[in-house]
Amino acid sequence: MSPTHYPFLSVIILWPIFGAIATALVSDIKLSKRLALGTAIIECILTLIALSLFNSIEGNTYQLVEHYAWIPRLNINYALGVDGISILFLPMTALITLSAIIASWNSVQQLHRQHFALLLVLAGVTIGVFTATDTMLFFLFWELSLPPFFFLLGLWGIGPKRRSAAMKYTLFMLFGGVPLLFAILLLAINHATTINGSLPDALCFDIIKLLETPLADPLQLIVFSLFLLGFSTKSPLVPFHTWLPTATMEGPTQVTALLIGLKLGLYGILRFALPLAPVAAVEYSWALGILGAITLIYAGLIASQQTNLRRLLAYASISHVGLVIIGIASLTPQGLQGALFQLVNFTLISSSLMLIAGFIQHRIGSTEVLHLGGVAGVMPRLTSFYFLFMLASIALPGTSGFPAELLVIFGALSAHHSLGITALAGAVLSAAYMLSFTRRAFLGPITRSAVSQLHDLRPREIGLLCVPAIMIIALGFAPTYLLNINQTAVDAWLTHLLEPTKVERNEIAQLINP
Amino acid sequence: MDSLVVLIPLLPFIAAFLIASGLLSGYIEGENSEATTATIANWSINMSCLLALTLLVTDLMHKSTGSLNLGSWLTSDNLNIEINFITHSINIILAALFSLILSIVMRFSVNYMHREIGFHRFFAILSLFAAAMLFLVLSGNAIGTFFGWEIAGLCSYLLILYVYQRPVATVNATRVFVTNRLGDIGFILGISLSLAWTSNANWLDLPTYATELTTSEATAIALCFSLAAFTKSAQVPFTPWLSRAMEGPTPSSTAFYGSVMISAGVYLVYMLEPLFEKSPFAMGVLIVIGAITAIHSYWVGLTQTDIKSSLAYATSGQLGLMFVECGLGYWSLAIWHLCAHAIVRCYGFLSAPSLMHKVKDNPIKPINPNISQLQWAYTASIQRFWLDQLADWMLVRPIKRLAHDLSYFDDHVLDQLMGIPTPTINTISSLAEFEEKLLGAHLEQTKNPFTNGSGIAGKITSGFASVMHWFEDRFILRGIGKDALNMGRKLGRTANKFELLVLRPRYLVLFVLTTLLLAF
Repeated sequence: MSPTHYPFLSVIILWPIFGAIATALVSDIKLSKRLALGTAIIECILTLIALSLFNSIEGNTYQLVEHYAWIPRLNINYALGVDGISILFLPMTALITLSAIIASWNSVQQLHRQHFALLLVLAGVTIGVFTATDTMLFFLFWELSLPPFFFLLGLWGIGPKRRSAAMKYTLFMLFGGVPLLFAILLLAINHATTINGSLPDALCFDIIKLLETPLADPLQLIVFSLFLLGFSTKSPLVPFHTWLPTATMEGPTQVTALLIGLKLGLYGILRFALPLAPVAAVEYSWALGILGAITLIYAGLIASQQTNLRRLLAYASISHVGLVIIGIASLTPQGLQGALFQLVNFTLISSSLMLIAGFIQHRIGSTEVLHLGGVAGVMPRLTSFYFLFMLASIALPGTSGFPAELLVIFGALSAHHSLGITALAGAVLSAAYMLSFTRRAFLGPITRSAVSQLHDLRPREIGLLCVPAIMIIALGFAPTYLLNINQTAVDAWLTHLLEPTKVERNEIAQLINP
Repeated sequence: MDSLVVLIPLLPFIAAFLIASGLLSGYIEGENSEATTATIANWSINMSCLLALTLLVTDLMHKSTGSLNLGSWLTSDNLNIEINFITHSINIILAALFSLILSIVMRFSVNYMHREIGFHRFFAILSLFAAAMLFLVLSGNAIGTFFGWEIAGLCSYLLILYVYQRPVATVNATRVFVTNRLGDIGFILGISLSLAWTSNANWLDLPTYATELTTSEATAIALCFSLAAFTKSAQVPFTPWLSRAMEGPTPSSTAFYGSVMISAGVYLVYMLEPLFEKSPFAMGVLIVIGAITAIHSYWVGLTQTDIKSSLAYATSGQLGLMFVECGLGYWSLAIWHLCAHAIVRCYGFLSAPSLMHKVKDNPIKPINPNISQLQWAYTASIQRFWLDQLADWMLVRPIKRLAHDLSYFDDHVLDQLMGIPTPTINTISSLAEFEEKLLGAHLEQTKNPFTNGSGIAGKITSGFASVMHWFEDRFILRGIGKDALNMGRKLGRTANKFELLVLRPRYLVLFVLTTLLLAF
């Protein structure tokens, strides 16, 4: 299965953590910054090597697998692996961590070493979430991603209520963790009862085995709901989204860029919620679709009322989550590939827009529309980048947003017409709120003296934004490259989900017409 | 020979890219670089025009293969979208015509835009627009056409924003873009439906696939695409965006709203001829909307006193007639009408500035007295049949209100229901807040009127609502909130006590023993 026996994924997870320790221990601030930067760059290269080692034709199987016993008594293993669904999240995580480090190069005022170290730890833990193939290990990484965010939001936040925001975030996430743990335990115990084993020995936390374990229908519904509840706080879906606007307003922009850029919750829904409870997932895909549609429209409408760029981006990203959910709920290959494409896309777009908001914030201390107005005249380069990312977020052809949205809408339309039309309405809404904010903040006459003295982007910042910008345009013109990576994985994912029900339907049909 | 077709949209695209990157890097700047920009832009569009004319001649001599396929753009499962071009009949004729008009406009702009601040920006956008339009007419499938369609729309937005310091221009540009976005719903819906029902969106395969569709399916797809066509060609009820779009500089108005972009709607309908032929209902819709627009535009055009808006209304009226011709089945007539109209309107728009220069001192000709006496008709004409206000009243304002209410709900209800951790210190926590307070900000009182009514009924309702809201806010929400808090504290204390109790060794041992007993 794996082309090499070298524990490559562990290296990718542990490298930034070692880098973080080194960064935190070095006493010289300049050196520690450089160490952090170097670690992040090498991490990026490592994830790219992983991507190149990955064989997308066999994307339906886990590759680069590692398997060590961790708690043998309970059958918990340290098991890692990537497949066509998760592989793309690795380079994206490394890339936005690198962006966050470069973006905060000068904007952090205190505790520099700790800040950069925490960012690196976060990258390692997040990659752990994306690569874990043992549910317990997944849960461990999932919960481990909380402390870095808590400290990053609370200690380096820019709003007056940063501590409260960090607390709110942590409480929400802890709340989401409980149903996850329940669901994981339920699945493990179900496995034990299915194979008639004694309890501690026959527990199973291996996702590949769990996928093959049959689960009784009522239990499926419970597991599906628990997973959905757990992941929807992180994604976030309405009504569990209230932590995100608060966090984006109070947290430092490079951290909020990570917060809205790392799509952990949606990954969880894709990886666990649906495949582990296939019958319930297929049966209740409509409910999931409705949840997505509500999130899309609700957040879109609220976004149109926002007067602050950071808050607007928070709601826009919630709205995007709704669109991705609609794609997933369509249970069609196009919808699903579109959803995965959108995840990559929104990671690039939302985090880049948030970094741009950060550049503005760093310069005039606010992203409130009242303090802006006419920025285009003084900062043509920043405005150009802003326009590119904004147009990508409203899915204009030529940017990567278009093929992704086309696939989602096509998938949703072929599954349920109403969902497809809702997705289209969301597209109009997104154009309306993005453009009307752009109009008020970037265009029009300059009314503030602070704005007229703004300095345009510096080379470091341009270089930082160039990478996502080039990727967005390249993927807009040649989306096939990305789609090829997850094609087989998506097919296998769908077959797993839909086949049993097909068999059952055939059985029922046979019973009715023998 | 046919592979040259790729260069037709590509050359202006490269020109746009070169000018834009030169502008952003600071290499192209100010009056000195005007010659460079003008050369790049003119040269590229002239070459495109030459290529298009060559291909047209080849096609007329029956020596072209008619199409070119460059492979696939997007594949997902059974969905496969190609990049392909048509170098045949109407497509290449329109490409030749549009590139010719655009090359004239480009040349005209060199002098017209001389020493304008946004000179380079203008040429970058116009070149991008040329690329988009040429791709639109040459693309062999609906997705490619949509590509050009949207980029052209974006260029229109950017050129209405040409003087982006003026608030009116920014409002109009946003409005125009969002209106066009409504039409895009129709376009994407049409594409998706035809992909779902025929698994193909190539224009050349349309005649064969159209026969496989049922009448209702054909009607659905045709109506979706006509929504897109009506928006782009400024038909009723979307006409108002056209007069808003007149903010841009005159040469761009020529290219966008006089002859080139605005014809895209008719072109789209023409390409869908086999589908429309299958659906009498869709043809009927074309006739009705086209006829209404023609009458509307004529009526409104009668009272226009400035040259650009009268030209705009004349254009939308003529396009209405083209739709009527399509609806009646005179497809060739419609497309010849399109070409002839494009040429005439190009001349009309481009000569408008000199015309204005010539008639500068003449008094404005009064409106025809026969019309001005018909008071109701006159008012309707002046008000452009209240289409804009109607759209505001029916669509924009309700959505805004809904958004406002939802936003309130999110901030004041949902957020509180989901829970907000109480801040440890309930005082001012930043210097900025302190300064704001010194300036007179009431940070403690965040009063937000829940409703805003007008008229007696409205006032009564809003008064009643505010009482209810006050009641809810003071008694129910806060009451429960506080009680729940106290309750929670009590529970927490009890739980703490319980935990302390449980954690004492004897209870712990007891607990473990019980578990073990139960387990075995």
